[in-house]
Amino acid sequence: MMNFQSDLQSLIGRFKIWVRTFRGSITLFSLVGLLLVPLSGNEYLATVLVTAMIFSIFAASWDFLAGFAGQVSFGHAAFFGISGYFTAAFVEFFNVHWIVSLFIGGGYAVVFSLLIGIPCLRLKGPYLALGTLAFALILWNLFLTGTWLGGTTGISGLPSLGNIFIVFYIIAAFMVASLIIMRAIVDSRLGTILKSIRDDETCADASGINTTTYKLIAFMISGFFAGIAGGLFTLHLTAVNPGAFQTLYSFYAIIMAAIGGMVTIYGSVIGAFLFTLLSEFLRPLAAAALLIFATLLILIVRFAEEGVMNPFLERVQDVWDFIRRR
Amino acid sequence: MGLILEVKNLTKKFGGLTAVNDVNFEVERGEMLGLIGPNGAGKTTLFHLITGFEKPNNGSVFFDGIDITRKKPYQIVNLGMARTFQLVKSFHYLSLLDNISVACLSSRGKEAFGKTGIDEAASSILSSVGLVDKARLPPVILPHGDLRKLEIGKALGTNPEMLLLDEPFSGLVHEEKEGISKLIRRLNDEGVTVFVTGHVLRELMTLVPRVIAMHRGRLIAEGPPQEVANNKIVLEAYLGRGEGFA
Repeated sequence: MMNFQSDLQSLIGRFKIWVRTFRGSITLFSLVGLLLVPLSGNEYLATVLVTAMIFSIFAASWDFLAGFAGQVSFGHAAFFGISGYFTAAFVEFFNVHWIVSLFIGGGYAVVFSLLIGIPCLRLKGPYLALGTLAFALILWNLFLTGTWLGGTTGISGLPSLGNIFIVFYIIAAFMVASLIIMRAIVDSRLGTILKSIRDDETCADASGINTTTYKLIAFMISGFFAGIAGGLFTLHLTAVNPGAFQTLYSFYAIIMAAIGGMVTIYGSVIGAFLFTLLSEFLRPLAAAALLIFATLLILIVRFAEEGVMNPFLERVQDVWDFIRRR
Repeated sequence: MGLILEVKNLTKKFGGLTAVNDVNFEVERGEMLGLIGPNGAGKTTLFHLITGFEKPNNGSVFFDGIDITRKKPYQIVNLGMARTFQLVKSFHYLSLLDNISVACLSSRGKEAFGKTGIDEAASSILSSVGLVDKARLPPVILPHGDLRKLEIGKALGTNPEMLLLDEPFSGLVHEEKEGISKLIRRLNDEGVTVFVTGHVLRELMTLVPRVIAMHRGRLIAEGPPQEVANNKIVLEAYLGRGEGFA
């Protein structure tokens, strides 16, 4: 009990210090701004931001695996889709409460991350990426061509979680919790070990680290959060179909993490929001939108190799310091 | 004292090349043994075979009486045998403290240092290798001599009984070699068995009391450094005269 109290006090103390830092205050300011959006009554904006928040979790889960554990996956949609299907199935066929179904879905994503991880961990670099891509494609085809779990139409007509503003706050809570947990893991001893494997696997092996076990742990954690994102996406749309497994989703996660800044976790939020809002903004341009979007992505990758979050925050901090000096 | 390492009939072939050919030798607990040989003699391959990074075609390796021939590198480390590499390896984006902490987080490291605290243990190891003032820096900005010390520090983080040092003097200037020599001697005085390679015999002459020499995958001589240095076969191997060791 005493330990818990002192841990809690130390956590609160660290939070207070973090809030006073530039990054802490700007994060808190942005979060408060985000939470005020439903007060505007704009349902359309709230719907778009819900998608962005779900993609934030999804992109951060990819960043956790690739950026911190060095295991690049091109098949992250597999975890997203599996959890989406199982969440929907438990809600629809077994009348299980959505929150329980969501965690069951996340659990299935963990099981599938092991099924993918165990054979794929013998592969490295591009071969690992292609191996994970192959698994996602297999699942996509299985769910597309199989008549079980709805075939091409999937499962639809799930009960809604409530009006869009309630959904907004539920998703926001999941996003904040997921990001904090992932960030806490990468800052922990486990994170240090994962980063060592990313930096030099042979060296980690020579330091007495069972790299296979730790890589599997990374796959499981990443799979779980990708699964939570997939489950939330399904609950938000009240439907799921084999499209959830499509390769495009895997690449969305990579693009969003790359835009925001890899090896950050929080950069994925910036990437997901930019990506989703930009996609929505360019939607009326139809095919031309794809060209503009691709060009913008190339420019971002070309001129902001480490993503936009860190350079942007550094510039804002420079301006802030300048104003304070005046 | 007893034997800590036994290498029996160890052979490794890469296609048509026999890199290690029927090698036999033993190391006493607490001993400091040197391994010399010209470039390409098979020293690093022998290290890889002993530490599990390569699997032999034939023969076996016993550490502390346990057959480790088919064990994985991390399992061998956790039995108490740590190593360094000829080409320095480190975790580039972690601080020096975290580099050592990773080793302290191995099963054996946690067993030894878990109670005192991983950070405290890592800090104390950094201090013992003379890098404590650079604890927060990443390895990429360190000079080569410091990287060699860091490698030894990482090995110490696993609380080893035996340390295998692959060419620890390679690429160092005289002062840095002196520093590494002192560090190795101190570790041996503290009870760590040391097995060290070098392709220049002079570097090991004053450090180790016994040396084995390798050429073209075979052991060609064994004894005190002075005796091995004057061995006709060893001289021919180094000077490139004669073809009699294949």
